[in-house]
Amino acid sequence: MALLLRSLVQRSAAVSSGSRCCLLYRHAVAMGTNAKEEMQKFTDKNSRLARPLSPHITIYSWSVPMMMSITHRGTGVGLSAGVAVFAVSALVLPGDFASYLSLIQSLSLGPALICTAKFGLAFPVAFHSFNGIRHLMWDLGKGFRMPEVYRSGYAVIALSVLSAIALAAL
Amino acid sequence: MAAVTRISALCNRGVKPLFLSKSLLARTLVSSKKTRDPPVLLSAQIHTSPAHYAAGSKAASLHWTGERALSVALLGMIPVAYMYPGPAMDYSLAAALTLHSHWGLGQVLTDYVHGDTAIKASNAGLFALSAVTFAGLCYFNYHDVGICKAVAMLWSL
Repeated sequence: MALLLRSLVQRSAAVSSGSRCCLLYRHAVAMGTNAKEEMQKFTDKNSRLARPLSPHITIYSWSVPMMMSITHRGTGVGLSAGVAVFAVSALVLPGDFASYLSLIQSLSLGPALICTAKFGLAFPVAFHSFNGIRHLMWDLGKGFRMPEVYRSGYAVIALSVLSAIALAAL
Repeated sequence: MAAVTRISALCNRGVKPLFLSKSLLARTLVSSKKTRDPPVLLSAQIHTSPAHYAAGSKAASLHWTGERALSVALLGMIPVAYMYPGPAMDYSLAAALTLHSHWGLGQVLTDYVHGDTAIKASNAGLFALSAVTFAGLCYFNYHDVGICKAVAMLWSL
């Protein structure tokens, strides 16, 4: 795939800016199937032949961008689950919100545990929000160079931790 | 996929890129000629996006834009809800949170769930979950203290 793209780039460079890039595809023929159908055929063939899945996440070397990406997804799913549980509880459980808060207060959990719990709530929100901004910058086309990816990544981690600590201390 | 954007950047010099502006997959490149030869005999089988051979729907593109717009709106709602708590922010947050969550979980399902029936079933389940979540949040906003006040009360523990 990389070789293909590289040869394409070389050909584009060879073609001067005056000529059309479509010279590459002068004899192009549109395929009868679309990409989704091709993928489905491939998936069906894999299940039919009972092909084993190649190791990927178990052997590939993890990087900071990879970990941040899956954490973004994990925090998103976790927060959604939390909101859903909260909403269903509001519908199903007896008593109002204040009664449950006084129940928690009566447990006398101690400030350390309460602060830790607040951090546990605040960090996913902070991380998902700051990394969300990073995603939106990518959607604008900015910050794709590798050093920029790492710099913005570390900035998101730092901001998330600091703001979560600040929120937990409130 | 940064290489793909580089190709279109190269071809953008003075030429309107007909095919390369849409996503395409070059299936076979027939020859491995040297750079100097005129690339006349090259042929390729390509996927073209629907706009090239039939009127396609813009639904997916609009969905993408909607997702980003909602994300920006939700980001803005956080400080506003802190500064101006009340029913308006409660219901806005309920709607924005539920929809953002629904679309986000939808992407997760699209990534990991394969097979026609599985996709349909999981999407139906997601829709039910989002509906119940929104109903629950609205119920909480109406009959109980509301989201903004609830966060404030929880944090005062």
